[in-house]
Amino acid sequence: MVAGLECFDPNLLPHLAVFALGVAMFTPLGESLALPAFRSKWPSLETKLGRTFGGLLLICFSGFTVSAHTLWMHNKSQEMGGGSFCSAGTVCDCASVIGNNDWNTMPFVGLPWGLLGMLAFAMFMWLIISMAKEPTASWVLNNLKLGTNFGILGIGVILYLMYAEYEIGKICQFCTVAHIAHISATVGFFKLSNMYGSSDWNVAGNTKAVDVAAKERRKRGGYVAPKQTSEEE
Amino acid sequence: MIRRNISNEAGARSDGLMIVSLMFIAAFTYIALTTNPVYTGIGVGDRVPALEGQVYDGTTWTDFNLEDHIDPLWSEGDGGTWFMIEFMDTNCGYCQQQAAEEIPNEQAKWLGNNPPRSTPENVSVEFLAVSISLWDEDTDGKSYGRDVIQDFRDNNGHNFPYMDMQDNSHQDAWGGFGTPTYFLVAPNGIIEYVNLDADRGYTVWDAMDEKIPRGE
Repeated sequence: MVAGLECFDPNLLPHLAVFALGVAMFTPLGESLALPAFRSKWPSLETKLGRTFGGLLLICFSGFTVSAHTLWMHNKSQEMGGGSFCSAGTVCDCASVIGNNDWNTMPFVGLPWGLLGMLAFAMFMWLIISMAKEPTASWVLNNLKLGTNFGILGIGVILYLMYAEYEIGKICQFCTVAHIAHISATVGFFKLSNMYGSSDWNVAGNTKAVDVAAKERRKRGGYVAPKQTSEEE
Repeated sequence: MIRRNISNEAGARSDGLMIVSLMFIAAFTYIALTTNPVYTGIGVGDRVPALEGQVYDGTTWTDFNLEDHIDPLWSEGDGGTWFMIEFMDTNCGYCQQQAAEEIPNEQAKWLGNNPPRSTPENVSVEFLAVSISLWDEDTDGKSYGRDVIQDFRDNNGHNFPYMDMQDNSHQDAWGGFGTPTYFLVAPNGIIEYVNLDADRGYTVWDAMDEKIPRGE
């Protein structure tokens, strides 16, 4: 059988579908994918920034679900009697990788890799949701830096896991999808960082006009300090 | 006067955190409800770690792999082999005492043809001694090597195999512990007894008597 075909597992389809939708949001296709029904529910999809947030969120969600799936497989492989939980071939065999007790947990910590994947993608999603909800907040730049740096750090972990697959002599399809989702998320964070401060980050329509004087009045409990004559002038 | 503190910036972060937490809890609940993992370790209820090496059966040294004797699909009522595994050191005083006094009685009770302690026809019991090193080979008065293991086994009249693990290579999977340490392993590879976890006075022999089914 062709390696590419034997590597395909129907259980991957839901993850791949969400991932593909997320990637499409980055492309011009995303504009047509953001159907009127979605746009009325999420008006931010009208803008390039909104679609980028949406796409990145979908990519991270696919990474989260596929990581959860690998954690489920890890637990299944530790059940008495094991069991078959994914398709296996000569090149691709996730059971041999996820079920390999020498490589399937984090060194020193001993936790399954799937759990680390879930935590990483959950953190990415938190950063993205926060920024999407409040794109002009003071911490947006921090979120972007955090996401980008964690993305780069994660690529190191991916290289280690690829080395593990090389040592085992098999490729885990589900892990590979999680790796691709992580790399795409990192690219997405770079893209967002480039957009930050540019006209693409134009969220004027979303920001609420703030009455500075009213805010000041609220802050002082209704008291407004009298101004000096020179100030009034 | 207490006033409501409104912060859109903080709200965005806590909203995001709540959404992500909800996803995490949902995923974890599903995994917890649909899987039942048994982890490898040396505690009661754990799957026994790998144990592979050369054993002396009284005549020759042959390869032995515990995994070959384990049936992960075994369940109570099925036939199979129960293993009593003793980690010992040929130089340890208490191991020597046990080997000379207690173990000969127990092997007479459990091993051989028609042992006094009956078991169902399809259930068997095996003893395995694993010889490890508590001291350095150069330590005065302590001697190691396969000849020492052979002499130890023969002098005590034991009729079960002795594994040579004097390089302490078991420690990666089993960890470090003193000697003698006894494990009772069910036919499915689950540890049913380890003296490290047991109540004082409850020995491996008591556990064997209690857990291994009786014949008619």
